Amino acid sequence: MRDRLQALAEAARREIAGASELPAVEALRVRYLGKKGELSGVLGGMGKLPPEERRALGEVANIVKAELEKLLAEATQRAEDAALEAQLQGPGLDVTLPGRAVAPGSRHPVSRTMEDIVRTFSRLGFDVAAGPEIELDYFNFEALNLPKDHPARDMQDTFYVDEPSLGHAKKADSSVLLRTHTSPVQVRYMLQRKPPIRAVMPGRVYRRDSDITHTPMFHQVEGLLVDKDVTFAELKGSLDAFVKAFFGSDTRTRFRPSFFPFTEPSAEVDISCTSCGGKGCRVCKQTGWLEVLGSGMVHPNVFTSAGYDPGEVTGYAFGMGVERIAMLRYRIDDLRMMFENDARFLEQF
Amino acid sequence: MKISVKWLGDYVALPPSVDELARKLTAAGLEIEGLERPGDGLRGVVVAQIKESVQHPNADKLSVTQIDAGGGALVQVVCGAKNYKVGDKVPLATVGTKLPNGMEIKQAALRGVDSSGMLCSSKELGLTEESSGLLILSPDLKPGTPIAEALGLDDVVLEVNVTPNRPDALSHLGVAREVSVVTGAALKVPQPKLTESGAPASQSVKVRVEDSVRCPRYGARVVENITIKPSPQWMQDRLKACGVRAINNVVDITNYVNLEFGQPLHAFDLDKLAGQEIVVRGAKKGEKLTTLDGKERTLDQDELVICDRDRPQALAGVMGGGDSEVTEKTTRLLLEAANFLGSGVRRAAKRHALHTEASHRFERGADLDAVVPAIERAAQLLVELAGGTVAPGLIDIYPAEKPPRQVTLRFARVEKVLGVAVPEAEVRRILEALGFQKLSESAGQATYSVPRARVDVEREEDLLEEVARVFGYDNIPAKLPRGLASLAPEPAHSEAERRLRQAMSGAGLDEVVNYSFVAPKSLEVLGLKEQPVALLNPLSVEQSVMRTSLIPGLLENLSRSVRHQVESVCLYETGRAYFRDSEGGQGTRPAAREVNRVAGLVWGLRGGGRSWTQKDARADFYDAKGAVEAVLGALRVDGVTWSLGGPAAYHPRASAEVKLADGTVLGHVGELHPRVVKSLGLPEGVFVFELDTEPLYSAARLVPEYHSLPRFPAVLRDLAVVVPVELANDSVRKVILEVGRPLVEDALVFDVYTGKPIPEGKKNLAYALRYRSAERTLTDVEVTEAHQRIISEVNQRLGASLRA
Repeated sequence: MRDRLQALAEAARREIAGASELPAVEALRVRYLGKKGELSGVLGGMGKLPPEERRALGEVANIVKAELEKLLAEATQRAEDAALEAQLQGPGLDVTLPGRAVAPGSRHPVSRTMEDIVRTFSRLGFDVAAGPEIELDYFNFEALNLPKDHPARDMQDTFYVDEPSLGHAKKADSSVLLRTHTSPVQVRYMLQRKPPIRAVMPGRVYRRDSDITHTPMFHQVEGLLVDKDVTFAELKGSLDAFVKAFFGSDTRTRFRPSFFPFTEPSAEVDISCTSCGGKGCRVCKQTGWLEVLGSGMVHPNVFTSAGYDPGEVTGYAFGMGVERIAMLRYRIDDLRMMFENDARFLEQF
Repeated sequence: MKISVKWLGDYVALPPSVDELARKLTAAGLEIEGLERPGDGLRGVVVAQIKESVQHPNADKLSVTQIDAGGGALVQVVCGAKNYKVGDKVPLATVGTKLPNGMEIKQAALRGVDSSGMLCSSKELGLTEESSGLLILSPDLKPGTPIAEALGLDDVVLEVNVTPNRPDALSHLGVAREVSVVTGAALKVPQPKLTESGAPASQSVKVRVEDSVRCPRYGARVVENITIKPSPQWMQDRLKACGVRAINNVVDITNYVNLEFGQPLHAFDLDKLAGQEIVVRGAKKGEKLTTLDGKERTLDQDELVICDRDRPQALAGVMGGGDSEVTEKTTRLLLEAANFLGSGVRRAAKRHALHTEASHRFERGADLDAVVPAIERAAQLLVELAGGTVAPGLIDIYPAEKPPRQVTLRFARVEKVLGVAVPEAEVRRILEALGFQKLSESAGQATYSVPRARVDVEREEDLLEEVARVFGYDNIPAKLPRGLASLAPEPAHSEAERRLRQAMSGAGLDEVVNYSFVAPKSLEVLGLKEQPVALLNPLSVEQSVMRTSLIPGLLENLSRSVRHQVESVCLYETGRAYFRDSEGGQGTRPAAREVNRVAGLVWGLRGGGRSWTQKDARADFYDAKGAVEAVLGALRVDGVTWSLGGPAAYHPRASAEVKLADGTVLGHVGELHPRVVKSLGLPEGVFVFELDTEPLYSAARLVPEYHSLPRFPAVLRDLAVVVPVELANDSVRKVILEVGRPLVEDALVFDVYTGKPIPEGKKNLAYALRYRSAERTLTDVEVTEAHQRIISEVNQRLGASLRA
């Protein structure tokens, strides 16, 4: 019997060593150590033996059982490792297939630029205000020191509104137009509150002009700061800070005297070319400078229109074309793309 | 305007380089937009005289010439042209020259004969488009003279952007004054001296001004014995540099003096003025005038005309008339220099679409004090260049001479407004150099009289501007604005709008920006009946009315993308729709009602295009609704209801009206009506939405309120019911939640099925119910009991049946 036990152990060792896959190892466990397995079969005859022999044989059987269990556990581990290894060696995924997420929609470059301009000024404490686009001549021109027949009105070719189409019961107080700039919002905003004031006014504006560098609608951001003793130096400082925050800290500004009816003194603000850094290139027409902003100290007549005393307060105002800035920022070379909304254009932003 | 640097140098010493001149003028407010150097491409080309010419030994068509190029020894040049004779002076491009057409001149041998340069035609010099043979130059020129100098092309032309407030700078003298102010160099103004002779002017012509408001000053001179001929080359060169075509000596002189003084002049042929008479008066209705451009114009009553006894001879301040035009036969002139009121000139110029050098200046405001100097200067030139004799007596009708404006400057204001302490002495120097004369002064302030040329200076701020621009904006420091007294609140709705954009983007919609004006047809086709606000002067009918909906723009965008083979189009726009307002336009009230909206469009393959992860599913109503829900979710707007149907543009059975919990209609979402799709030639399956954003933003809950997490586990049970197809999910869900209260926390529809084995006219709806109690863990028994109750109630109330 002891011999049969030894032979069984011997055969089991050999077979377990040769088993490399999990099902084979499991089959061996059942065959040798299962309830009806071979070990049980050998030990089944033990009842007939005398007690001493039974005890001795029992010890041997336990040793054999423990050994086989250990071998089977090792074989299981080996088989699992091999299986995992095989799996890890198998064909990989095609990781170049696109992922399953929905691509987020894009932001229109004009709208994004406008939002970014407004946000930059809000860091300087500017409120945000809006006003009507279908505007009265009074707010668009007269209140801004642009009386009728003023040649400066030629600077802005105007769309007029067919007044009967407005459905007014009475005729409006002054003729009605599409605002040519965001500046009328300045006057409306001032009429609604007392100084001090700081606000930016983003929005759509309209000029009757359409060619390769003009669209009949575009966007502006207007800014206004009014308080006691506001100086031109602060105008320079604020716009310089904006330019550096928006275009990068190494961008330089240049203030040039200019003319706007609603400011005095007035200044055009140039920035060092965003493309060449000021050395001169095609974008800046070799000048090293790009004109991006108009600005100036609020004209006393504008304060008077708004019911402020020009002897009491001073202020500065500025305005910029959003499309121009977006074109510089994204290096878009054709203004008209902005409103064609071509899918192949939009998807780039 | 174009300014010739050579000409400018007549009146003031210029900085050593033109670039510096340009920089200084720009810094002072006369922006130099461009520099033209017409002679730049001609470096290396000189005047040369042909001393000898013989037949080329090896080529029939070539000659071998010996050339005097001013350098002493003769130069040998092979030449192909035939149009010269020995002794002629012609342009020689010397070796090393690069011609405007790109050709580089090298030492060469042509058919075995050395050639040191090239004799040029005017085409080769880039002077004309076509030419035949060599350019034969004036015999007076000296060999060796640079050709640019010989042809008067050695000038630099400044393109000056003169802002509308500065008509004083619309002349060479005006710009010279600016130069003198910024450089400190003295200004030299021409001082014409005239010798008068013959019969007095008053015997030759009578001048009467009937409207001295619109013509505050009228100056004239009679000049006789004129010989019409071309003006001298130097004058032609200067006019050409300024973009003015040379015509004859008389016309050229009037143009020249205009460019010199900024005072428009006109010369009438005195013998053609009926009655030897000039009357400045308002036009009579229907009166006609043929202007110098040959067009007959019908005049309007509020236009000012210069007439002879019988009829108008010029549209005041705009253009002269053909009848009294100076011709080759003219011998006697009435030379006019007048001042006309800007607003009238502007209206007339606009009405007749005539923008002239004269109207440009008068509109902006010409200098009342320039009338006499300009006419004297022109008369002097007529004497010098046209052989004229000046009749005694300057006619100068100036009935209401007003004293110059006076403006007081408080010196302390300079620092207060500019933020920099400009030394008082410098302030005084600047103003005086600009021609402001100090009249009086008292403690801390001085009163100046304003030169009449400076029509823009009326008040203290105007003087501050003068000081600032001459002192230099660069010399004013940059300071940040002082601190804030308080923090402005976040502007209403700006955060909500930001979240809306994020939600739209997250839903895969691309943002667009469309024009606010559309074609009336694009609104009509959508069945939008409300009459839109219309433009009086649209650029085209396609952009003639203000949109009452954002959808037409999106449909246009869709068409465009479809044309470009895009397979999936998902767009949105935020912006305004515009409506009439019967009460608008009174006082400060806006003239129209402008409504903020968001609109979107979904078409084509779902998820942005074809994908290997899903079959080619096409976007449908629920994709559009999903985008709207994304916004509602981002803004945490709860209790929104959806009811079947929409306005005319929408498919009546595949669209919904969207309402806030309080019943406010936000807008609609749905499939575009098949008839609209067809009439616009769009592909099928276009889904759109359009919502008013103001009520949406007002309902937004931007700051969520926290609810503590449930302490007890949930039990999940599914429920499937078969109901009539037209029964809405919301109706079923409402019953489930009502009956299941308080144990049913949520019921989520997760399947909708029609088809076998569900009977015709029915659909199967499957719900995932979540049961939970806030107080205890639910037992299986009570959940089962609640579930059974729900099933029987749903069956009873909705005629539904539990699906086996």
